[in-house]
Amino acid sequence: MTLVTLILAAALGTGAHPTPKVVLVKHADFIRQSLTGATQYFVRTVSIGKEDLAAIRKASDFTPADPDVQFYLGQSQDGKSVGSTLFQQVDTPHGPLEVGLAFGPDGAITRADVTTATVETKPWVQEATGAGLMKRFVGLRPGDDPRKALEGMKGQLSGMPEYMAELIATAVGRGQVLYQTLYKGSAT
Amino acid sequence: MELYSLREANRSVKLGAMLFLLVLGYAYLFAFLMVKTWSGLTPERVQATYVPAPGMNEMEMPAESRATTQPLDLGKVPEMKHTVDTELLIQDSHIHIMIYAIVAALLCLIILGLGWPPWWRDTMIVAAFATGALDFAGQWLMKLGIGGFAWLTILSGWGMSLVYLIVLYSTARAVVPRLARSAS
Repeated sequence: MTLVTLILAAALGTGAHPTPKVVLVKHADFIRQSLTGATQYFVRTVSIGKEDLAAIRKASDFTPADPDVQFYLGQSQDGKSVGSTLFQQVDTPHGPLEVGLAFGPDGAITRADVTTATVETKPWVQEATGAGLMKRFVGLRPGDDPRKALEGMKGQLSGMPEYMAELIATAVGRGQVLYQTLYKGSAT
Repeated sequence: MELYSLREANRSVKLGAMLFLLVLGYAYLFAFLMVKTWSGLTPERVQATYVPAPGMNEMEMPAESRATTQPLDLGKVPEMKHTVDTELLIQDSHIHIMIYAIVAALLCLIILGLGWPPWWRDTMIVAAFATGALDFAGQWLMKLGIGGFAWLTILSGWGMSLVYLIVLYSTARAVVPRLARSAS
């Protein structure tokens, strides 16, 4: 009985009940799959300055939660940039949602994927992405409106999946602005 | 005054009480695994989940952005840090505090029949309700930026488990006559 009591005490001895997140695509997998041809990888951390913060706010009416933004870069064997990725999070009443974005050397989006959802939002996200939402972001260039991707989906989604699609478009838009404002040049 | 005696109660009442406690313990084991995975068991990890990130300090921000680039080991890329923002905490609070109250009320129904002295019975009833409330009080105080209240959330979790174990032990003694005899 003492042993059972101890085990149960250890098992129960905690509080706090967060809504569990669900990793749909691991960051490392997203980077590896998106930066095709890369043999070397780099992480670029940009600490946002006042000028760029003003530019971000002007372009997108949002303030990044974290003053440090990470870009993950890939280089080919001969040192040429094959692109870069970043992960943009948006918070929802149902838990955080994260979108991975990959950009080609020309700045156009080459891949977009929801990398993290929550137990609650996962089925709604999967319904939205299953309807082909993410492919609609591919090819967008800095300055393009990601909400245009939603226009072609009217009638295909309703309720919570449609809400998730709007949040995903918001994350894509914010990621585009961060890329456009903060990402400069190649890895070296 | 004895409100009722679980020891003298109908066998079905004893069965219901015992099975409720065992299944509650079963659920608590998974609650523990969930908390361990997504929130953490140490004050540092609990704080990191609930206390808002410092955010932008525009007063100390340089005029121009600064960038550093380092080689990346893909095996060490961190996943998104799981945090609970205010909206999510509202939702978690709405669900969990209600469930905590229901569980505490059901524990009280059992406590009333355990034949405890009134002062001890009342203490345990208050503890059954208070621990759940304090769990979320700690989370909200952390959300207000007071990270030290991670301890309140952790201790209230321990308190909740202690109440459960005391009730389980006493109930087992009341409903299984052999246990009561061996203890005396």
